Amino acid sequence: MSDTLSSATAPASAPLTKWRPTGLLFIAAPILLIAIFLFYPALRSIWGTIYVRQPDGSYAFSIASYLYFFSDSYSLTNLGRTFWTTIVTMVLLIAINLPIAIYLRFSGSRLAVFIQVLALFPMFVPGIVIVYALIRYLGPNGLLQTLLEVVGIGGFQSPYLTPWGPVIGMVWDAMPFTLLVLTAGMSGIATSAIEAAQDVGAGRLRILFSIILPQIKNSLLVVTSLNFLGLFGQAFMPFMLGPTSPEMMGPFMLRTFSTVRDPLQAATQATIVFALCSVAGLAYVRSIARRRAAELVK
Amino acid sequence: MVMKRREFLKGTAAIGLGGVAAGLMGRTALAAEGTLDIFFNSDTNVVEFWGSAIKPAFEAANPGTTLNLVSGGGGASMNALAERAFAALQSGTDPQIDMMEAIGPYHPEGAIEAGLWDDFSTLNLSNMSKVNPAVIDNQWSLPYRGSQVVMMYNSEKVPTPPKTFEELVAWIKANPGQFAYARPDLGDSGACFIERALQEVMGRDESLFTNENYTPEYAEPMFAKLWVLLNDIAPSLYKGGEYTGGNTPSIQLLASGVISMTIAWSDMALVAMNEGVVPETTAVAQLQDLAFIGGYSSVLVPTNAANHEMSLKLADFLISPEVQNKVVTDLGGFPSINWSEMSPELQAKFANVATTSIPTFPGPWEPALFDGWYRNVASNLTRS
Repeated sequence: MSDTLSSATAPASAPLTKWRPTGLLFIAAPILLIAIFLFYPALRSIWGTIYVRQPDGSYAFSIASYLYFFSDSYSLTNLGRTFWTTIVTMVLLIAINLPIAIYLRFSGSRLAVFIQVLALFPMFVPGIVIVYALIRYLGPNGLLQTLLEVVGIGGFQSPYLTPWGPVIGMVWDAMPFTLLVLTAGMSGIATSAIEAAQDVGAGRLRILFSIILPQIKNSLLVVTSLNFLGLFGQAFMPFMLGPTSPEMMGPFMLRTFSTVRDPLQAATQATIVFALCSVAGLAYVRSIARRRAAELVK
Repeated sequence: MVMKRREFLKGTAAIGLGGVAAGLMGRTALAAEGTLDIFFNSDTNVVEFWGSAIKPAFEAANPGTTLNLVSGGGGASMNALAERAFAALQSGTDPQIDMMEAIGPYHPEGAIEAGLWDDFSTLNLSNMSKVNPAVIDNQWSLPYRGSQVVMMYNSEKVPTPPKTFEELVAWIKANPGQFAYARPDLGDSGACFIERALQEVMGRDESLFTNENYTPEYAEPMFAKLWVLLNDIAPSLYKGGEYTGGNTPSIQLLASGVISMTIAWSDMALVAMNEGVVPETTAVAQLQDLAFIGGYSSVLVPTNAANHEMSLKLADFLISPEVQNKVVTDLGGFPSINWSEMSPELQAKFANVATTSIPTFPGPWEPALFDGWYRNVASNLTRS
């Protein structure tokens, strides 16, 4: 995460002038570790989904498990539910955190510090605690419902065990990270630019759309792509807070692997999720690379 | 890199072996006259229960005797200990083991025939007649604590709990939204509910389901009948067919008062009731036609134990009402002796859970059953 932050916020560093082999030596160890413990097993399992053991014991190329996935309405419904949950959560995260980030950037009051601490608080609470706390709070006959009834609002429908359950849990969980990246992006906006715009009579919305948003475009891209990766594969929140069916891909993969005991289909689901997530990963890498290139040109 | 990794592996293996050796030596050193070495396969909460509820009382009643409670370290090392007892039997030496907890008598092979384990059916322990015959699995294992799936309900809203599965289904339909069970893969209590339902649609014939006989062709027609039953009750469940995410969430839902009945493991239910996290009026009940699935933990005594007399005395103590009452109150377990032998307060509280059968369900059936449930039952929920 600190990588993301620094790349999203770091001021232009000294340009890389010479190509030095010692630099490569420094990164050799981590790259080797990633290759051995991540790439190799991942490639093996992807390979295993297309080069499949046949009933007679021999191995042959087959895309049957993919054909099954894309012709199985149950699997497709789960994939659709995963997209829905991810996108709704991402939109909510931006909608909630962007105003806070703007407020934190332009307010120097003590209240701002307090709000920042409060918004980062979820980072220090383990997920399992949040989940059980949310069930007690948002659940049927929970604290929220009781409070609402005290002030005379009835008819509360608990989001627990509905598609909104995991959305709420995941917004809670991903909020600190989103806010950190956005406030970091905000700090790069020069006050002088905004004052200049105000001087020529730009309204608040105009400043937001013409000055602030273009300058934090990169932060938004980073936060969107990384949140997508994190949310799409979530397993814990969906199965604690969400409905039984449709499932999100995280719990679905887990269940296919451990309960249905079908490693081939689980690997196929994982490969499909991986392929979809690599689009988001690509967007992230490109945004970093563009920034790097821009820095080098300077 | 490769060399280093190999050295690293060797190093860790050596440390591991050293640890095991040190552990075994430690155990050997502790064996002494009057010290009973008891090895546990159960989790630490059970060892703690022995330490607080059984050890002090037994040592006070038998001066000069010390119980040495040792966590066995999982199935593989428990098996190794059983092998050690068997080897000692063959060589006529002291096995340094006086009792083993929560393992079966079938390992190592030939041990039963060679007479390694005491046969409790011939020993005439003074409390043996109190043991519920339904919980005895074999004559070498002495069951002393159990856990069984039960109906957990609010007695204020359910004055008379269902006695048969048919009555349970009727109650669910008559009280829409008041019943929930856990998803079978996330909570065994939910799995036990659908397995009991499967036994119900097949005429409660347990012999239809064995560890060896699962094939898709054989199971499909049975599952088809099961989906009909479960889909029939689904609209009457919590939220019109929603399922909880595990054993604890089921109890939580009952505790919040949204539902009046759920399916739970007895030990979890009893702990919740003892700790007061559920309303005072919460109660548990068992089906009387064919009970929900359950299991009992037993002890084995090697016939060549150095303190054999004392080990049998301890075994007898385990199935005494004194210890069995504590199994319920302190451990949240089920007693292995008849409820009529238990304290009157506990009898009154658990009058509805006494059981005459403790069925099991074969594991090889579960993957297809659970996945079929997701596809045929859970996915039919239509949200308004």
